[in-house]
Amino acid sequence: MHPPDDLEEYLRGGSALSRQYRRESAPQPMHALDRRVLKISRQAHGKSPYLAPLAFAASVLLSMAMVLAMVFGPQTVKRIDESPRLIHTAIRTDLPPRLYSSDPKRLRTPSAWLADIAALRRARRDREADAEYRRFRAAYPNRASGDQAIQP
Amino acid sequence: MESLDDDARLMLRYRDGDSDAFLALYARHKAPLYRYLLRQVRNAGAAADIFQEVWSRLIATRLRYEARAKFATYLFHIAHNCAMDFFRRDLKMRRAARSDDAQAEPEVPEYQRPDVIAEFAEQQSALLAALGALPLEQREAFLLHEETGLTIEEIARITDVGLETAKSRLRYAIRKLKKSLIAAHAEDAEPRRTRDFKATRLNASA
Repeated sequence: MHPPDDLEEYLRGGSALSRQYRRESAPQPMHALDRRVLKISRQAHGKSPYLAPLAFAASVLLSMAMVLAMVFGPQTVKRIDESPRLIHTAIRTDLPPRLYSSDPKRLRTPSAWLADIAALRRARRDREADAEYRRFRAAYPNRASGDQAIQP
Repeated sequence: MESLDDDARLMLRYRDGDSDAFLALYARHKAPLYRYLLRQVRNAGAAADIFQEVWSRLIATRLRYEARAKFATYLFHIAHNCAMDFFRRDLKMRRAARSDDAQAEPEVPEYQRPDVIAEFAEQQSALLAALGALPLEQREAFLLHEETGLTIEEIARITDVGLETAKSRLRYAIRKLKKSLIAAHAEDAEPRRTRDFKATRLNASA
């Protein structure tokens, strides 16, 4: 069992033990250490305390925007693609006509078709003109061409 | 509500952006803190590292500071945690070194070099040597009381133990230190007595 007054006497202060401890050398941190700590303090003080939360908020916003763009972005683009478009094209009259459809009857009137064949003849592209003429005849077997220069 | 101590007011000013308040706090507490760490870890290099870490943590967490207790309690609680981290790291290093094959000599930090430790021990007085021989917890309780004047309740709060445990640690520390000092004085007195006895015999024979 400890004597009851041992600790109490010490805690009252001024005990022989405390006095002896105070007589011991009192080492201090080196100046280099002081400088290092004060430098850390200065550096921390230079930084705004609001920078970190702001940077965090900006990062969160950016991340959310990216996620939204990834999730909803392609659908938006698709909707735009599905919308009807009006395409303007220029008609060049100096070149012989080119045929793009597998159903020529839908593209041209018979007279326009015959005019195209005549243009091919004038441009001395006879093979193409012959082929066109055969297609014309297949489409309109009873139609008179009217112009001998169109026929092969 | 407990009234704020001067240091807590300084810390609040520092938290709110007054850098001069930090200078005042540092000037007041640097020496007791350094001595607490030096005598707790018993190595100058390690004490310097931990000292810097303690202030760095205080600076880094200043915006969260609230004056709930004495500032010294706050500061030395950080110091206690840093010192405990140091002892854990040190223990881990020693275990790793022990488990390592003897061929590869483990890299020992400067503060663990035997010559540095021996030099430190030689510079100690009887009281500091006795203090160094105390178990870690008892040594800490004594150092906290001597260096900061904190009460047992505050020491208990810093070291995260109950009041009775803190009291018991301090009581044991005091008893052991007293005993060691008495023994040291007795050893000092013994050679003197022997010297006196020899001198008396010499005088008598002359």
